[in-house]
Amino acid sequence: MVPGYHLCFLTSLLCSPWLSTNLPTKTITMTDGDYDYLIKLLALGDSGVGKTTFLYRYTDNKFNPKFITTVGIDFREKRVVYNTQGSNESTGKAFKVHLQLWDTAGQERFRSLTTAFFRDAMGFLLMFDLTSQQSFLNVRNWMSQLQANAYCENPDIVLIGNKADLPDQREVNERQARELADKYGIPYFETSAATGQNVEKAVETLLDLIMKRMEQCVEKTQVSNAVNGGSSGKLEGEKPAEKKCAC
Amino acid sequence: MSEILDLSFLSEVERDLILNVLQRDEELRKADEKRIRRLKNELLEIKRKGAKRGSQHYSDRTCARCQESLGRLTPKTNTCRGCNHLVCRDCRIQESNGTWRCKVCAKEIELKKATGDWFYDQKVNRFAYRTGSEIIRMSLRRKPAVNKRETVGQSLLHQSQLGDVWPGRKIIQEQQKEPSVPFDVPKLKSGKSALEAESESLDSYTADSDSMSRRDSLDKSGLFPEWKKMSAPKFQVEMETQPGGQNVVSIDEGEMIFKKNTRKILRPSEYTKSVIDLRPEDVGHESGSLGDRSKSVPGLSVDMEEEEEEEDIDHLVKLHRQKLARSSMRSGSSMSTIGSMMSIYSEAGDFGNIFVTGKVTFSLKYEQQTQTLVIHVKECQQLAYADEAKKHSNPYVKTYLLPDKSRQGKRKTSIKRDTVNPLYDEILTYEIPESVLSQRTLKFSVWHHGRFGRNTFLGEAEVQMDSWMLDKKLDHCLPLHGKISAEASTGLPSHKGELVVSLKYIPASKLPVGSDRKKSKVGEGGELQVWIKEAKNLMAAKSGGTSDSFVKGYLLPMRNKASKRKTPVMKKTLNPHYNHTFVYNGVRLEDLQHMCLELTVWDREPLASNDFLGGVRLGVGTGISNGEVVDWMDSTGEEVSLWQKMRQYPGSWAEGTLQLRASMAKQKLGL
Repeated sequence: MVPGYHLCFLTSLLCSPWLSTNLPTKTITMTDGDYDYLIKLLALGDSGVGKTTFLYRYTDNKFNPKFITTVGIDFREKRVVYNTQGSNESTGKAFKVHLQLWDTAGQERFRSLTTAFFRDAMGFLLMFDLTSQQSFLNVRNWMSQLQANAYCENPDIVLIGNKADLPDQREVNERQARELADKYGIPYFETSAATGQNVEKAVETLLDLIMKRMEQCVEKTQVSNAVNGGSSGKLEGEKPAEKKCAC
Repeated sequence: MSEILDLSFLSEVERDLILNVLQRDEELRKADEKRIRRLKNELLEIKRKGAKRGSQHYSDRTCARCQESLGRLTPKTNTCRGCNHLVCRDCRIQESNGTWRCKVCAKEIELKKATGDWFYDQKVNRFAYRTGSEIIRMSLRRKPAVNKRETVGQSLLHQSQLGDVWPGRKIIQEQQKEPSVPFDVPKLKSGKSALEAESESLDSYTADSDSMSRRDSLDKSGLFPEWKKMSAPKFQVEMETQPGGQNVVSIDEGEMIFKKNTRKILRPSEYTKSVIDLRPEDVGHESGSLGDRSKSVPGLSVDMEEEEEEEDIDHLVKLHRQKLARSSMRSGSSMSTIGSMMSIYSEAGDFGNIFVTGKVTFSLKYEQQTQTLVIHVKECQQLAYADEAKKHSNPYVKTYLLPDKSRQGKRKTSIKRDTVNPLYDEILTYEIPESVLSQRTLKFSVWHHGRFGRNTFLGEAEVQMDSWMLDKKLDHCLPLHGKISAEASTGLPSHKGELVVSLKYIPASKLPVGSDRKKSKVGEGGELQVWIKEAKNLMAAKSGGTSDSFVKGYLLPMRNKASKRKTPVMKKTLNPHYNHTFVYNGVRLEDLQHMCLELTVWDREPLASNDFLGGVRLGVGTGISNGEVVDWMDSTGEEVSLWQKMRQYPGSWAEGTLQLRASMAKQKLGL
């Protein structure tokens, strides 16, 4: 999907050693199993682009302006309802989806740990900071990390430019970002964890991509079966017409 | 699945935070596992209610699901696009795009999505076997078939509980990291012990007192001070409470019944076990059946349950098929044939009641332009009566090009009513390259089409395609014979290819790492390493003239999960390089006299049963083990000499190229 990028070494980013604790997480996990699909997403991107606050906004609809570095990995959960739109006016179905949203440390020192978690995610929120040109430049590095470490070479990704609520500090313009997203063939959103702008939309778009891929995947298994059947079907034509069963 | 990560850079605070996260993940995962089991049981339930999955011949005018008569429906518009069966309207599930599938297929699709298998199947393809050290680790963990569901978080959590990944356990990490070839295995001894303990107490849901005591001894040995320090008491509790809970939820009544039955019925032909070994929680029986032997060989008593956890839809489909096969096979008088019957899943029917008579007349032709084998089935004569009393038979002829026993490889003639001298005059064709064809064996079998899908076996005959003069279009007449013993009797090409194996026995005294622990455990033996290097000239089991093969090993007399090892599947090659090592530890030198290493090569068939491609048995070949006459101690020639070489020179590799047997039926000793 993307021409092979050389794996550049990421420049060590603002390493803040004054970390203490991850954001307060819900102590009670939703472990009732009363859902149809468990979908695992993962947010990645440079340190300080707002991955944690983004997810916090999404799951709890709150904003925490304090910068607290994520230690290694963390995750949050949210239960959503996903509606399929049935074709030709048939009403779609509604599914309960349990989202596990993995949050990763952007800091270089946790890299070996965080990239190991890439493979367990079904889709990715690749984030950069609209007020940091460097975080945007690093997007391509993150992309190649994803291609190397995700469950497949072209996983579902949305590109997210966060901190859209700070127009006066903006260093990355929309056209630039959109071009990059187009190059990768992925959706792009400008979001703000502070205002909540586009946050839900970005996650929902990713979920939609994943659900569509899931359908394709199971359909493909079916198709490949049908192809096998097809070749024997060709031979069956030459066989006596009295074909008794498909087994 | 995950590589061993060096996380020694983490501070204690960080470590605890991460552990906390992993712990939460574990809870979520556990809840999800319950949900998945529930879903799978639902599928089983649906299948129990009369789903026919190509396992039996049945009337074409009934719905494949509810068996209701279909009346005059046109087949084209009423076949399920999943399984191609005719299905009535009531048994369909409409899909959003206007199409439909039958209940079972729809449920399977749903399950594939709901369980996340669509995702895990891809993931496992990508990450299954990345590096050499990874493979070794897999071997060490007795987990050659990866649990595709295992997540990084999960394995990290487990490792953390053993102090593996974390500061203080650096020795192990470094060793594990070595991009080494299987030679280095012994060095990892202590790492292995840790991993074993892990799989015992964490992955297998047994409240096995043995495993607990092993853990205790680990703790006491003081090998893992770090582990103790960082794992809060919470973890201990977690581990101890885990077993009961898991077991209760997951045992499905029907499944249990089935499991018990397979145990009993299939015992004589266990080499087809890969077909049936999907008993996810069947621990109780297993540990019971290990007997005293396993206690004297502690390393072998490690449970392999985590592998079986990988139960997925494919397995369930298989399970279902076998159930059908079994239920229609009550006569049971020909036990030795069960193996072959189980592997040709569509051959469920009555065996053994018929005294096979008669012959089949046919001609063969190969059309070069179209690369097609044309079989002209002319007639059968003097067939046996399926119902001797009523002098009644409805015979039809079925063909396979062995070893392809898949549904796609099946051809059938029409059914002739009430005759023992049926005239078919029908053409069956196979589109197949000549080079591939020459390795195949054309198998005719004649069946009586009984009511309610109960077909009766009337006899079979084989033609080896390599020796057949295809250019002559003459009539041939072959006498039919009964199913004597699968492939062995039929003079199938004895050349099944070769397996290159290297064996090494390392005495306990020479095991380098963890020797201090060794001493504390008196009687613990050495280690047998089986390096499966490659196979050559395997039979092609798949269309396109290839096989997706893997090697399975058992260290007899134990033929159970504890002694089972598997290599990864090597796709699309007849000369696979497995380069995979099976490790059996706790083996004393004197045990080797009584043991036999059985290696079998299989073609992986995801939606059907795996195809047997050949096998070897390495042992002393005396027919006797521990003073008892056993049929599996039947090694000959190179099989014996390689085994002896290994016993003779502990600590060094004994390598040999072994001819694969065409059948694992006993060689010297009759049944």
